Amino acid sequence: MNPAHPTPIPDADVHAYADGQLAPDRLARVEAALASDTGLAARLAAIRAQNLALRDALDPVLAEPIPDQLLAAATAPASHAAGLRRWLAPAFAVAATLVVGIAVGWFGRDALIERAGTPTTFARQAAFAHALYAADVNRPVEVWASEEKRLVTWLTKRLGFAVHAPDLNSVGYSLVGGRLVAGNENPTALFMYENADKQRLSLQVRKQAPGTGETAFRYAVENGVGVFYWIDDACGYAISGSVDRTQLLKIAHVVYGQLAAFEGAATK
Amino acid sequence: MTLHADTGAPGLPHPDLVAAIPRLRRYARVLTGDAVRADDLVQDTLARAWEKRRLWRSGSDLRAWLFTIMHNVHVNQLALARRDAANVSIDADPGNPAWQLPVRANQLDRVELLELVALIGRLSPDQREVLLLAAVEELRYDEIANVLAIPIGTVMSRLSRARDKLRRLSVEPASALRVVK
Repeated sequence: MNPAHPTPIPDADVHAYADGQLAPDRLARVEAALASDTGLAARLAAIRAQNLALRDALDPVLAEPIPDQLLAAATAPASHAAGLRRWLAPAFAVAATLVVGIAVGWFGRDALIERAGTPTTFARQAAFAHALYAADVNRPVEVWASEEKRLVTWLTKRLGFAVHAPDLNSVGYSLVGGRLVAGNENPTALFMYENADKQRLSLQVRKQAPGTGETAFRYAVENGVGVFYWIDDACGYAISGSVDRTQLLKIAHVVYGQLAAFEGAATK
Repeated sequence: MTLHADTGAPGLPHPDLVAAIPRLRRYARVLTGDAVRADDLVQDTLARAWEKRRLWRSGSDLRAWLFTIMHNVHVNQLALARRDAANVSIDADPGNPAWQLPVRANQLDRVELLELVALIGRLSPDQREVLLLAAVEELRYDEIANVLAIPIGTVMSRLSRARDKLRRLSVEPASALRVVK
């Protein structure tokens, strides 16, 4: 090879280098050529600039809200539900270690699904408590949102584990306040939210041992009140409201994400 | 990104699939050049993913797997469209004025980005696809080869042509940009 006229770097290597994908044994040659070949340096800079511009230009799509029909498509088809149970047989029933964060599955550490024929006690209680207090114009809550810190401290003490009120402003609901609800043997924290149309929602939290016959993740409707409820790490959560299922699911999504983030932060 | 022991609850969207949807939508818009058909393509892709869930190997890259399904669904749909002589596939004519910008004008704060996005529509479908997967999704070349079922050499040559063409188009004087809002 004549050093005055080195073999040009193959086109594929130029692109691979720009993309950070060039094989290690070929790196040295490109780097040596870069020292003297300004044309090569310019080509690489142009590719990298184009990459950045393409990302800048196309990333906004990622921030768009997801249409309902796509959320529906991400849901297991009904015909598969029975198959899922068999498919999620003992091999998958072993509790997987879940990373807290947005990638966490909707189950808690208990990966068993149980499809009960009748709505569970928790859902019924949650719906009843929601209907009772949401209808109260003057005193839906004991402690108002203006004293949120006091509310959270009080409920945490009574329940015996850390609770907090998720921020639902992104879906149009602001915190009204909270109260304690007498349910079964476990005291239940109730956070009440309200939107601009004065529609109310509640999040109820209580200690809940898994595997007591209560299902892990369910949706139920009790007397016109929709309830999404689940058990995660020995806590039961129920989101109740009179809004339609899709809306309620969106809200449950937000709540779940915040609870997971909170838990993650608390364990750091 | 991995699917945790496939813990989808019946009746609730699977969070790992939900997390993949924005990127699927973006890829679909680049493929189809039409925002509505793009969401239909994503929907069809997710339906196919449920059907083929047993083929997904736990621990492997879910995003790449979904992209592969989307590519295949799209190819099949194009083949069906071509069989119907009355249908002119939008993708058959890369200069088609009906190409929709993948992003809305008000989402971009720089005009040159808007122009760049419009120029993507003037690449061939094969070029657009490779460029998206390499430059934007930053998949490895061997992953792209798997998604598109082509040899790595073809990935490289298409990528090179895509980049060159895009660069030439963006320096053309008075390029006939048709920014469709």
